[in-house]
Amino acid sequence: MLDTYREVVTPEGVALHLPAAGPVPRALAWLIDFGIRCGVMMAMGMFLGAFGRGGAGVYAVVMFLVFWFYPVVFEAMWNGRTPGKRSLGLRVIAANGAPIGWLAAFTRNLLRVVDMLPLAYATGLVTTLLDPWGRRLGDMVAGTLVVHDARPRDPQPAVVDTALAPSIALRPYEQAALVAFAERAPRLSEARQAELADLAEPLTGARGTAAVTRMYRMANWLLGRR
Amino acid sequence: MKQEHFVQRHQPEWIAFEHWLDARGERARKARAERRSWHGLSDADMPSRYRRLCQQLALARRRGYSPVVTDRLQALMHRGHGLLYRTPVPHWRRAAEFLIAGFPRLVRAERGCMLASFALFWIPLVVIFAAIQWQPELSSSLFDPVQLLQFEHMYDPADPARKLGRDDGTDLAMFGHYVWNNVSIGFKTFASGLIAGVGSIVVLITNGVMIGGVAGHLQAVGHGDPFWRFVAGHSAPELTAIVIAGGAGLRLGLSLVAPGQRRRADALIEGGRRGALLCVGVLAMLVFAAFVEAFWSSIAWMPAWIKYTVGGVLWTLTAAWLLLGGRNLPAEDAGA
Repeated sequence: MLDTYREVVTPEGVALHLPAAGPVPRALAWLIDFGIRCGVMMAMGMFLGAFGRGGAGVYAVVMFLVFWFYPVVFEAMWNGRTPGKRSLGLRVIAANGAPIGWLAAFTRNLLRVVDMLPLAYATGLVTTLLDPWGRRLGDMVAGTLVVHDARPRDPQPAVVDTALAPSIALRPYEQAALVAFAERAPRLSEARQAELADLAEPLTGARGTAAVTRMYRMANWLLGRR
Repeated sequence: MKQEHFVQRHQPEWIAFEHWLDARGERARKARAERRSWHGLSDADMPSRYRRLCQQLALARRRGYSPVVTDRLQALMHRGHGLLYRTPVPHWRRAAEFLIAGFPRLVRAERGCMLASFALFWIPLVVIFAAIQWQPELSSSLFDPVQLLQFEHMYDPADPARKLGRDDGTDLAMFGHYVWNNVSIGFKTFASGLIAGVGSIVVLITNGVMIGGVAGHLQAVGHGDPFWRFVAGHSAPELTAIVIAGGAGLRLGLSLVAPGQRRRADALIEGGRRGALLCVGVLAMLVFAAFVEAFWSSIAWMPAWIKYTVGGVLWTLTAAWLLLGGRNLPAEDAGA
């Protein structure tokens, strides 16, 4: 498989497929978080500047918290998502699929120190590219994983409401392809639908729009809609 | 069974489960408050419903149903799984217990790494200190002259009005500075241990040499008195915390180099967990040290004997805490 799924077999004996996230969305999420952190520090700088010398002490404490604990607190309290990760649809979870705890969040963010070496997260990038599930060193040590949040798929109403039995017996993967076509084709342009349906000419015995309609009807039959 | 029939037959169950997750699964406190007004799926039925859902997902996959069904079931199952198998929430009482008893036990459990770290830090410190007493010009090969002048200026016995150990800045400003600076050093000492322990070793030796160098130079030029009065108080928690952070880093590096009877990945996870717990303690020690350093150590008018007594008490307390803390607890994993 080309997909970077991590399969976690739960205690119930059923596998969860977790879609691991690669370096690009994670870097973008980090940039968004970085922007937010800089914004917070600038706002605090202006606010605390009014308090003179003592303000500088509070500023240093805030800087400490924002630098070390911003990701830890968000990941532990907000179900594995910092604001940046949330906007990119990412989530940190434990390697067994459960939500991340405080200690794991602390560990993975402490080890950013190593992933940042020698500059600009170079070590992290290399390990992310080498690891089958895109983990950086911090993730490996903390036993965590960054995954894409599942997008909810709303069931579409059938486009055609009649059914047609396929003329020949279809193998399981052929059935799956047919059903996948019926579920995803309504989002494609008419021309593309027809182009794809033409590939199945031996099955449908038609071309163009007629073939598309026949494919939809066969999918209905396979799904049990009559 | 065709996909549509399967969905029609089980749809109500899935919707009930989803309602339960939305209403009851989010926050325990909210769920407890609303338990009387909730009329959906009962809490006690949730695990069995979850297992049923798992079975339905397995069936749906086996029968090759389309992603519309399997993705939906997997999303529901993932939410249920997260709820049933999440890490327990930490409690404040457990946190206090950890600091008083669990942390010292953990330090003692890693005594090999801690002793190595202790040696890596203190031997360079003492050697450099002694060497500078013997050959005072050695200090100028460690630091450049501007830095040396700055150190001498900070601990000038001829200037009794100035606060000890600082150029300027109020107590609060220095507190913030120490928290930012020292805790960052502590955390980096631990984390850099992942590079087979080399990072921690380098940080420990460098810090030992620097601190030994400054102390040796000030002692040699006769500015020793204000310097010792300044460091007497906070040295115990601060230096010990750096040693512990280094020990945690060595532990982490060691689990990479010599994982023993485990897979390297598992050894690293265990080393990381212990290291992170040690870092929690290091954080507490360093924040305390920063507090002492900012608000107590800098008081210049305090007679020397009070400073040294407080320093001695703090060293004794730190040692007693680390050597004896949590001894009488039943044997269990200190970090739980």
